[in-house]
Amino acid sequence: MTERGARTAGLLTSQAILKAHHRREALKTALVHGALILACAVCVYPLLRILAVSLRPGDRIISTDLSIIPQGATMVSYARVFAETHFLFWLWNSLVITVATSLVGVALASTAAYAFSRFKFPGQRLGLSLLLGTQMLPAGMLILPLFLMIMRLKLMNTYLGMVIAYSVSSLPFSIWILKGYFDTIPRSLEEAALVDGTSVFGAFYRIVLPLSTPALAIAFLFNFTQAWNEYLVARVILTDSYKYTWTLGLFDLQGQYLTQWGMFAAASLLVTIPVMAVFLYSSKWLLTGMTLGGVKG
Amino acid sequence: MSSVTFKSITKRFGSNEVLHDVGLQIADKEFLVLVGPSGCGKSTLLRMLAGLEETSEGEIHIGEKLVNHLPPRDREIAMVFQDYALYPHMTVAENMSFGLRLKGIAPDEVDRRVLKAANILQIEPLLKRTPRQLSGGQRQRVAIGRAIVREPKVFPFDEPLSNLDAKLREEMRIEIAKLHQKLATTIIYVTHDQVEAMTLATRIAVVNAGRIQQVGTPTDVFGRPENMFVAGFIGSPTMNFIEGVLLRENGVLRFKTEGVDVPVLGGTGAEPLGPATFGVRPEAISIERGGAGGDGVVAAEVEVVELLGYRKNVHLKVAGAKVLASVSAAFGGEPGEKVGLRFDPAGVHLFEKGTGRRIR
Repeated sequence: MTERGARTAGLLTSQAILKAHHRREALKTALVHGALILACAVCVYPLLRILAVSLRPGDRIISTDLSIIPQGATMVSYARVFAETHFLFWLWNSLVITVATSLVGVALASTAAYAFSRFKFPGQRLGLSLLLGTQMLPAGMLILPLFLMIMRLKLMNTYLGMVIAYSVSSLPFSIWILKGYFDTIPRSLEEAALVDGTSVFGAFYRIVLPLSTPALAIAFLFNFTQAWNEYLVARVILTDSYKYTWTLGLFDLQGQYLTQWGMFAAASLLVTIPVMAVFLYSSKWLLTGMTLGGVKG
Repeated sequence: MSSVTFKSITKRFGSNEVLHDVGLQIADKEFLVLVGPSGCGKSTLLRMLAGLEETSEGEIHIGEKLVNHLPPRDREIAMVFQDYALYPHMTVAENMSFGLRLKGIAPDEVDRRVLKAANILQIEPLLKRTPRQLSGGQRQRVAIGRAIVREPKVFPFDEPLSNLDAKLREEMRIEIAKLHQKLATTIIYVTHDQVEAMTLATRIAVVNAGRIQQVGTPTDVFGRPENMFVAGFIGSPTMNFIEGVLLRENGVLRFKTEGVDVPVLGGTGAEPLGPATFGVRPEAISIERGGAGGDGVVAAEVEVVELLGYRKNVHLKVAGAKVLASVSAAFGGEPGEKVGLRFDPAGVHLFEKGTGRRIR
């Protein structure tokens, strides 16, 4: 083979190798996208079915029709949710309890996490391990102690009782999330703030917290979704139907002989609106890399 | 502005004592450099001055005031950190004015001070940027600016240039020297870089293993090191050490070891004879090509020659010892060549064997 021929052959071999590489990459991308589309479909399909049921006219509730916008689609179920139930009360109760729980939870967790992250004290490691340990207990196990605690505090059937019960159950996770994040913030930033004239709390409040918005947002969302969707604790603490959260109210739509599936589906979709709004609003705080540039990396 | 006094300072972390009975007096408007290897305790001493570490024993005074019990904000200091420690969520102007705003100083005065400091450091165009939009050198200027605006009594600088590249470090070193002249303030500057120490300091305190080894002007510390540690730490390239014996022959003090027999000139006559360490700075060695000849000339063999541009570092073998000479770039010797070494008496030092204390 001439030198030129050999070079051409070498070039062809390289091109073939690159082509095969591109084919493999394309196949890999297609497989990943396929899997993601399938996962999305699995997540979204139940919601679409609920939407379909909520739009069905009363005489076709038990239909086997699979179309998403059913024949004779109507908003009657939505209207009935507002007209025939205490839905707005439930929603208001849930919002008050959830927002208060999230704010109290984040405030308590951030101060506790800061202490675990920055100070050395006896029982520090044990405390962290115990916090993690509480997350291993099934929620049902905590119902009785929570019930006894709230009852002895004479906080049954109150917002405050619910906020305390929800906050304490979300605290360990929030503390761990926030402690992990605080650990990544260089201490020299707080030291600079101390020299600049803040107190220790001032350095935490003015420097550490503003830099921790992604972790605070995650902790807030975790508290929010936990409290928003919770049923079991609410069932034990709340007895007055005007104090019901939406989870209790919705459950009451299921009768012994007849369940209002249209209203049930409509209410189920309506309650997702506040939580979706909070998620969309919080997403702007979930920016990473807030501490970039402050210190030499 | 103010003086600083450390009186019998001891610092322990648990059972580990990192500073042992340190005493140091820094005069008003002085530029004192604490220099030493990593882990020697120099930064700890500075952090204790700033109030970021507690003092286990001893007293720290700023001016006449005992400050041990005061939190950092009440010590009237403004520290510059090694990693800049700029607040990432604030602009340069907000970073610089943070301390002033906390003090409740009127906004007009805050603006005036920030602009003045920005002007001194030539960072006016950067005032609206955030730290992430700045280069390393710009960040360090902002960190210094944040300290200047507070008009403190004392500036502790904790290795402020160690994160910069060599060229920028040199530029900033000159900036800091100018700043000291302009502000005429007390600066306590920690570094492990002896070049920074030599070029910036009015006095140097050499620290090792939690103890101050020597305090003096750069000329003193370089020219009359009090022990082998200081002699080896200050100066680049580092001093050569040869183990041997000090004896007197025919009334002349001589240092002898295998392959080395040199007269030691300029002695006091009170030098203790016996085992000793001979120290000679690389710049104090001249190389005579064509082998050894004459009293005080030591036979050596060239091992490696490094060209540094305007100088050459010549690594030599003298009997069992290794010696480095820093000579003119015109030196034409090659590896393997036999040469003679002559030592300039001004660059020769003698140390006690064992204690390492200076004899001469």
